[in-house]
Amino acid sequence: MKPVLAFKASAPLTMGVELELMLLDTRGWNLAPDADDLLRRAAGESHGGELKPEITQSMIEINSAVHTAYPALLAELRGTRDVLARNARRMNVAIAGGGTHPFQKWSERRIYPTERFLSVSEKYGFLAKQFTVFGQHVHIGCASGDDAVYLNHALSRYVPHFIALAASSPFYQGVDTAFDSSRLSVVNAFPLAGTMPWSRDWAEFTAYFDKMHALGIVQSMKDFYWDVRPKPEYGTVEIRVCDTPLTVDRAAHIAAFAQALARELLDERRELSPDLYLVHSYNRFQACRHGLRGTLVDPASGATVTLRDDLHAILDRLVPHAQALGSGDALQALRASLYGGDDDNDAAWLRARLAQSATLPDVVRQQAARFMG
Amino acid sequence: MTPPDFLPTWPASANSFALFGLLLLAGVLGGRLAATTRVLPAITGYIATGFLLGPGGLRWLDAQTLADARVFADVSLGVIVFELGRRLDLEWARHDRWLLPMGLAESLVSLAAMFGLLRLLDVDALEAAVVATFGVATAPAVVLLVTRELRAEGPVTRRTLWHVALNNIVAILGLAILLPFIEARATGAPWNPIARSLWLVAGSFLLGLAGFGLMTQAARVVGKGTAPQFILAVAAILLTVGAAQALNLSILLALLVLGVAGRNLDRHHRLVEVRFGDAAELFFVVLFVLTGATLRPEQFGAVAWIGLAFVAARAAGKAVGLFACARPAHLTAKQAGTLALALTPLSGLAIGMTQPIFDVAPEFGARLAGIVASGIAILHLLGPIATRFALVRAGEGEPVARG
Repeated sequence: MKPVLAFKASAPLTMGVELELMLLDTRGWNLAPDADDLLRRAAGESHGGELKPEITQSMIEINSAVHTAYPALLAELRGTRDVLARNARRMNVAIAGGGTHPFQKWSERRIYPTERFLSVSEKYGFLAKQFTVFGQHVHIGCASGDDAVYLNHALSRYVPHFIALAASSPFYQGVDTAFDSSRLSVVNAFPLAGTMPWSRDWAEFTAYFDKMHALGIVQSMKDFYWDVRPKPEYGTVEIRVCDTPLTVDRAAHIAAFAQALARELLDERRELSPDLYLVHSYNRFQACRHGLRGTLVDPASGATVTLRDDLHAILDRLVPHAQALGSGDALQALRASLYGGDDDNDAAWLRARLAQSATLPDVVRQQAARFMG
Repeated sequence: MTPPDFLPTWPASANSFALFGLLLLAGVLGGRLAATTRVLPAITGYIATGFLLGPGGLRWLDAQTLADARVFADVSLGVIVFELGRRLDLEWARHDRWLLPMGLAESLVSLAAMFGLLRLLDVDALEAAVVATFGVATAPAVVLLVTRELRAEGPVTRRTLWHVALNNIVAILGLAILLPFIEARATGAPWNPIARSLWLVAGSFLLGLAGFGLMTQAARVVGKGTAPQFILAVAAILLTVGAAQALNLSILLALLVLGVAGRNLDRHHRLVEVRFGDAAELFFVVLFVLTGATLRPEQFGAVAWIGLAFVAARAAGKAVGLFACARPAHLTAKQAGTLALALTPLSGLAIGMTQPIFDVAPEFGARLAGIVASGIAILHLLGPIATRFALVRAGEGEPVARG
């Protein structure tokens, strides 16, 4: 039966966050398959939002409640983090942020046995276990499907900015990848990764979805692994390119940035063109590879600018929006981090730890301490 | 005709290389055979091979050969106990305040159950206390090897290893407390033996700490490379085993302290997690083939029912202790049950406390060995299978043979 892709309107500019976290063995700092037990124990304590399993047993996901303002989101994320950290310590495991685990071997992972995850494993083979990577998704509420389509395209210009701000996966399978975000290279391997095809409104997008469904390629929106995608059942646009930052504070800052940016984009209603996507892959690569030092090409003017400088200008421009939304502190914290030298994003912080401590398990230990507080 | 003088005399005398090779070859074949059943762990195959080759079977391994091979077994035990100690995070007990009480409950209730049973069977109180104290300890080698074979990890595995470390410590301390009484009975002089216990416990403890001190100081020089750190760990283990032997101390306690100190006192994080991997497997095969060679067929015969009762009392005691604490410790019934089952393997007399007893009271020691021999024999067969079943049942091990 054909699913009806109805967009459930939500309050504009509300926001929610999903954070995928790694569970760690405190002896050698490899991943630990303790998701079940941690979820069971944490379920007995009150916290905002929801805790869920993820594709392999060494991952869990935090889903925040829906928020209108950044301070409440931050307080909730800190509270949930505390509940998880307390229970993890009672189990002798640790929790950490970061887009990839620096040295785990993907072949040692175990699929979490739910129907969906087992079917993903069946469908994608080894890619499913390789998908033991950890991302932050930010949802922004939209009043209509048309707004969601507009915002989806408008946000695509800022995909590199989100990548560079959140990048925290320089190490993968035991080596320094030279990327700030190696996690997205794993996502790229999936056949339905990439960007939403150009469409002007919800009706046009629905027509595309219907075709893909009729061809038997997708069953639901969940099958698209796009950088930004509409989430009609929540009434949101979901930004999916961020690595999970090393702290919940940084995750909340990034969500606040997305909210302020969405406010600006929805206020201004810019004229968009499919040319946006001409530079998308190039700019995205620059952000993954070089982080804030990457260079962007502007499709309209042809000018190039570093991500750091562009972000600085954007954060200045968003000040009134942030003030209106009560997230001035969050954007100020992001602005301050841009020029933090060896500490400008989490990837830089992780590399600095490796330079100091010499081994990847030591890096993971410090990564967990940073997250758990 | 006289054979040329360059030919060896026949039969050629065995030497330690050939012995090591023979034990390995036979063990690996037996282990492989066990693994193909998909139910038995490889350890059961090693033990069965030892039994077959030993004095209870084909008699290819005689008492002298077994004594010669003891050095391999001691080194193997050293490696295993060191690795076990590395898993004992004392911080864990601070965050989970039920961890230590649960470990003590498991140890002490099983001690009481075994003691009660032996008293019912009219065993002398001191002998019953000593045997029951031996019974508290779960075999670290069996549990760790089954864990490795299954590549088991998760909450039940982690707790199992914690309990193994703790109940071995309880057993060693318990026997150290009982030792003066044993000697008092044998010699009528109660004061000297207290010094003996103190020497044994405090000496082993200090030796472990000294090994740790040496290891961290050397680590400052060799750095954090995995290869030099591996050699460093092996060196520290060999030195500690050797010193414990030379000083009449407990190898098990000294190595456990070395491992625990490495995990908990290395404040500057100078030590790197070492994976002993397949190289260590060599020693483990030898350890269990030798263990099997100590078994006698008669141990499974007429007196086995005593052994079975002993095994049942021990298992019931451990289960009661664990289930009593399961709810406040936030363990599910399944977790507590699989944990109890995983603790089945019995160290027997291999925890390094037999020798002091034989030293002070040889006749007493021989009687003890007689009382528990069938229990030990039964658990050598059932223990590895029970641990394997428990960890697979807990969903923490892959029921696929290695290799």
